[in-house]
Amino acid sequence: MKTMPSSPTVRRRRARRARNWQGWLFVGPALLFVGVFVLIPLGQLVAMSMTDRSLLGGGKFVGLENYEKIWNDVGFWRALAFTAEYTIVLTPILMGLGYAFALLTVDNTPLRRITRTIVFLPVVIGLGSSSLLWFWLFDERVGLLNKLLVDLGILSEPMVWFITAQRAFWAVVISITWKVVGFGMVLFIAGIQSINPEITEAAVVDGAGYWKRVWRILLPLSRRILLLTTLISAIGSMLAFDQFYIMTSGGPRGQTFTAVYWIYQNSFVSFKLGYGAALSIVLTLIILAFSATQIALTARSAGK
Amino acid sequence: MSTASLRAGFAAALIASTAFTTAAWADSLTMWVRASGTNAASTLVNLWNSTHADKIELTTIPDNQMVTKLATGVQAGEVPDLVSFDLIYMPDFMKAGFLTDLTADLKANKDYAGVAKAYVDIATYQGKLYGAGFTPDVSILVWNKDLFKKAGLDPEKPPKSVPEIHEDAKKIHALGADIYGFYFSGSCPGCNIFTTSPMMVASGSKMLPASGSDDALTGDGVKDVLEQFKEMWDEGLVPKSAQADNGSNFVALFKSGKIGIQGAGGFLISDLKHDVPDMNFGVTFLPGMKEGQVSAFVGGDVVAIPVGSKHVALAKSFVAWELSDEAQLEGLAKNNILPSRPALADNKYFAAEPRVVTTAKALAVGYVPWVYHFADMVNSDSSPWINMLQRAIFDGDVDGAIKEGREKMKAIAAE
Repeated sequence: MKTMPSSPTVRRRRARRARNWQGWLFVGPALLFVGVFVLIPLGQLVAMSMTDRSLLGGGKFVGLENYEKIWNDVGFWRALAFTAEYTIVLTPILMGLGYAFALLTVDNTPLRRITRTIVFLPVVIGLGSSSLLWFWLFDERVGLLNKLLVDLGILSEPMVWFITAQRAFWAVVISITWKVVGFGMVLFIAGIQSINPEITEAAVVDGAGYWKRVWRILLPLSRRILLLTTLISAIGSMLAFDQFYIMTSGGPRGQTFTAVYWIYQNSFVSFKLGYGAALSIVLTLIILAFSATQIALTARSAGK
Repeated sequence: MSTASLRAGFAAALIASTAFTTAAWADSLTMWVRASGTNAASTLVNLWNSTHADKIELTTIPDNQMVTKLATGVQAGEVPDLVSFDLIYMPDFMKAGFLTDLTADLKANKDYAGVAKAYVDIATYQGKLYGAGFTPDVSILVWNKDLFKKAGLDPEKPPKSVPEIHEDAKKIHALGADIYGFYFSGSCPGCNIFTTSPMMVASGSKMLPASGSDDALTGDGVKDVLEQFKEMWDEGLVPKSAQADNGSNFVALFKSGKIGIQGAGGFLISDLKHDVPDMNFGVTFLPGMKEGQVSAFVGGDVVAIPVGSKHVALAKSFVAWELSDEAQLEGLAKNNILPSRPALADNKYFAAEPRVVTTAKALAVGYVPWVYHFADMVNSDSSPWINMLQRAIFDGDVDGAIKEGREKMKAIAAE
């Protein structure tokens, strides 16, 4: 018996189904990875946040009690405000300096390539090692920074950097800027180099000066990479922990606790794992809201 | 083959098989030790391994990971046979049921009767014993004899009270702007519970609450000592950098010869002899507000057997052995580490160094607080203990600081 030939519609439907299966097959491993290492632990974290689980055992269901405690936890909100201040101050410094270094080193001459490498090198040092290094550089007795400032006549005597919250804050900002600025520089160089050189050449022909070309051509055309780098940098700053743990120990008087440091204190020093889990969920939601807003703004400006 | 050869061969095989089965029956124990206790623990473990068929394999755990690792290990059923950790965690671990009851074994051990009382107290929960002192450390007062001599003070006469520390510090600071009479690490909660709290305890105060209904920071000792420290700070007798020191420079300035007097631990003796062999320094007990009042903070590690250990009997025999004269003298004292039995302080190894004898004797006058959530109450970077010290000494509000510290400590103890 002869089978009827399939219609074009049926053939298109079959082809679409085959493409769907192929798509799922390709993303399957990644989805499995995300499911096992992100979604399941996240689910466990949410579950733990609704218990009074301690590091020493136990774990009775308490509903939203931990979240109610967070509302009255002055220490957490103070830490969150400090983290926000740190993010707002540090991010423009990193973006501005990073873009400046990118403009300086974007051409592929040997000197510029060496400069790029030198600026990028601190990025590959671990954050813990970098923080320890700067902790001792800032030391009042043996730190090289104080010696330099005194020798240059900027200070009359060595300064105790971590004696006030403000000085401790700027000490950390300086150390992180040194460590991380190269990362932004590299991304911005990639963004600038991806711009069609004919556009800048045309601008030169039209008589546009260097800064005009930067302001009117390079910056607008590297907006996407700028916004992406800002987002990554801001998220990194909101999750700051190592540098404050090592350099300031949250002091003086707990004034330099960040949100993650506060979570660490509650979870592993006070043994309150359930409460720490609730704090983590709240922080995650805050960062998600911030990221969603930024991505929405990026999409809107790209659409203009 | 002759009969003689056969007999010789059989005898050789029998001897060889005995050695083989001995090795095959010998067990291997695992032991975790926190990083800061590794050197001291190694002296005992190495001695045990050199004299016993059953070997102990020592694993170092970073100090700030020990609690987490042990807690998760017990709950997962994956624990070492022995564990050596900071004794201040004993109450939390005993309450959580993490440790094996050693009451019968320790009470039957004649050496246990001579262990410093502080170690017995910290390892007791509801009348039962769960651990033994292992590698002790204790706080003492050190003074720079060279600076004392230059300042016109008798270098062989240490201050016997906190006000006398203050008076001597003034004379030492008069030697020069960069010479200071006294030092303490102003942002280090652990350093201060170790060296400042014994002055308060010696003056009659009780420090920490064991429960929400227990009192905290009682007596005049806390206020009197804080006021002395505040005055020394206001008078510039303490370097400015002390305010921000989180312990990284706990003894660095004393080693540089710029500090007249400070509290420290027994560990400093060998440190100073190694790093600054030309410095003349003395060691004495930490004093209270009046002459004759002395105390010390008894610290260091205890050894215990986690619940879930697979070699409990063997682990118990190690705990019994480490209290013996052999272990205490040939393991600890020989390596300049304090024995946990103060009666052994006068031994041939310490005879050449009377300062170590003094330190060992400090164990007998020392205290250790028996409280839950010690880390939260004291050691944490945001603890009520360090906040109280900083508010009292650097802000000058002694009464307010004590009141706030007391309330917060009781709130933590009530959790």
